[in-house]
Amino acid sequence: MSSENKTPLLSVRNLVVEFSTRYGPVRAVDDISFDVYPNETVGIVGESGCGKTVTGLTLLQLIPMPPGRIVQGSINFDGRDLTKLSEKEMQEMRGSDISMIFQEPMTALNPVFSVGNQMIDVLRRHKNLTRRQARELAINMLDTVGIPAPRKRIDEYPHQMSGGMRQRVMIAMALSCGPKLLIADEPTTALDVTTQAQVMEQIVKLQDEFHMSMILVTHDLGVVAESCDRAIVMYCGNIIETAAIDDLFHKPQHPYTRGLLDSIPRIREERITELPIIRGMVPDLLHLPDGCRFADRCPRATDECRQDKPVVNIDPVTGNGVACYHPMG
Amino acid sequence: MEVLQYAIRKLLGGIPLVLGVTFISFLLMVYFGPDKTYELLGKNPTQEQIDEIRHELGYDKPFMVRYGEYLKQMATLDFGASDSTGEPVSKVLARTVPISLALITPGFILGNVLGILLALIAAYHRSGPIDKYIMGFSVVGMSISFLIVVIAFQIIFSSSYGLNAFPVRGWNVHSFSDYLRYITVPTLATIFVALGYNTRFYRAVLVEEMTRDHVRTAKAFGTRPGKLLYKNILKNSMIPIITRIMFSIPLVVVSGSLIIESYFGIPGIGKVTYDAITTGDQPILKAVVGLTAVLFVITLLITDILYRVVDPRVSLK
Repeated sequence: MSSENKTPLLSVRNLVVEFSTRYGPVRAVDDISFDVYPNETVGIVGESGCGKTVTGLTLLQLIPMPPGRIVQGSINFDGRDLTKLSEKEMQEMRGSDISMIFQEPMTALNPVFSVGNQMIDVLRRHKNLTRRQARELAINMLDTVGIPAPRKRIDEYPHQMSGGMRQRVMIAMALSCGPKLLIADEPTTALDVTTQAQVMEQIVKLQDEFHMSMILVTHDLGVVAESCDRAIVMYCGNIIETAAIDDLFHKPQHPYTRGLLDSIPRIREERITELPIIRGMVPDLLHLPDGCRFADRCPRATDECRQDKPVVNIDPVTGNGVACYHPMG
Repeated sequence: MEVLQYAIRKLLGGIPLVLGVTFISFLLMVYFGPDKTYELLGKNPTQEQIDEIRHELGYDKPFMVRYGEYLKQMATLDFGASDSTGEPVSKVLARTVPISLALITPGFILGNVLGILLALIAAYHRSGPIDKYIMGFSVVGMSISFLIVVIAFQIIFSSSYGLNAFPVRGWNVHSFSDYLRYITVPTLATIFVALGYNTRFYRAVLVEEMTRDHVRTAKAFGTRPGKLLYKNILKNSMIPIITRIMFSIPLVVVSGSLIIESYFGIPGIGKVTYDAITTGDQPILKAVVGLTAVLFVITLLITDILYRVVDPRVSLK
């Protein structure tokens, strides 16, 4: 990506998100910074609980507050700092400038309203349309996302549709107001494998058509490899590596990224050996070590790693960066 | 069409229920209920006199025959005459049921509507001070005995110690303003008690619904909090709300009016039932018990149809 001469659409700086729990505050997202450029797809990867979903939700300020809280940092989107917007201004933003699609198409749509009703609500919320106009637009959108017989299906209820269809409805809803940024939180995880590929293909195609940027939150490195321009790897609320997609897959710098890549099963591998795993457990977010959070599980860790936490240094030319004292090189 | 078929099927299915309820209550009434024989006889009756009276009352017929007669009465709505006043039961019902309905309907509707409103407000401000205030109030409403509430309200509104603005008891209604005067205090007392339970229940239902994924989706698409609450959350919560409202109807009609009518001396069906129990007025008891069972079946039917109206996933098949 030639990112140097463009201004980012979204620029997150030093974002910290805390949840207060019975045992004290937990930092789900700890001092992360990243940029998303126009038309770019950025993958946020990591295992469960690493803060990737919270990051996505925080951009739209959808984390429950309280107990959640943005402690510090800024989210600059299209020239405005989202953390400084009022709840009302944020509502205007949601679904129009920034849309989000969720993991569970089974429960993410309201079961007691027809999909048309829900789509029309979104359209009329953000655009000055009559019911009839909104309905026509909704039918168009359903057609665009590849739902057959949209004129008939628009009056169906979510339970009358398959998982893949529902996720398509979600996508149609998310794109209906022409957002500049789409946050897709594990959009295909709950679908079966054949549907996954179709839906993902559809998303990528539409992203091009609609000229929008996308943040793809997922734990599926395969999906990231196929659809993203750049990826951010998160671990324990930190960004530990960010790199263009080819660099990340061919020359991973952080031992954790390397571990993740190694643990993908490869069918074509001639000799079938035991699948490598990353040893140890993710540390408890309440009792984080002082140094690198991956140090306990890292084969390259030294005393330095355990004392001082490494920070990501972004290379101004490549845009890649890694938070490690002993990168793989 | 689907609804009509369903209604017919459900009503037919309700027949065994009505038979079961009436059979058990008739059994209890015959073997454990009041026996009029000795009330009608003087002191030291002869066996012939006893037999004569029992024959007159129909007590000597076999049980199943008597039950069959009862079912026939149910079907024709002709329950004979009241034992204590001699007035035909159908006339008693026609006179008292409208009074009871007029008395309890406003309190019942307001109790539920206000309950839902307060619950919406509490849920909207959940865990904030307004929520705590409303919940505190509802606990107070739940904890105070209905009897105390009735007496307190009578003192406050109807006695010379208080406002002295409404009649304490009775039912002398000739115009709409009379009607309002007589129902105000009973209605306030009903609302005060019902509101506590209702608000708590409805708030729990709404808060539960708020945590659902589809609510987060609606938020993520910029839905305003007000609309979120009255459109998405309220409609999705309708099944438990309808269940509660509908199932309380038979109870409120019979036992609710029973208490309130006896405290306020209002000649409704509850008062008549209460008197019939204490005096052993079988024709009236038979009518009330049977009709309550029918009311239950009809309520169940309407509840199921309402489920279908609010939730498209419910099938009437």
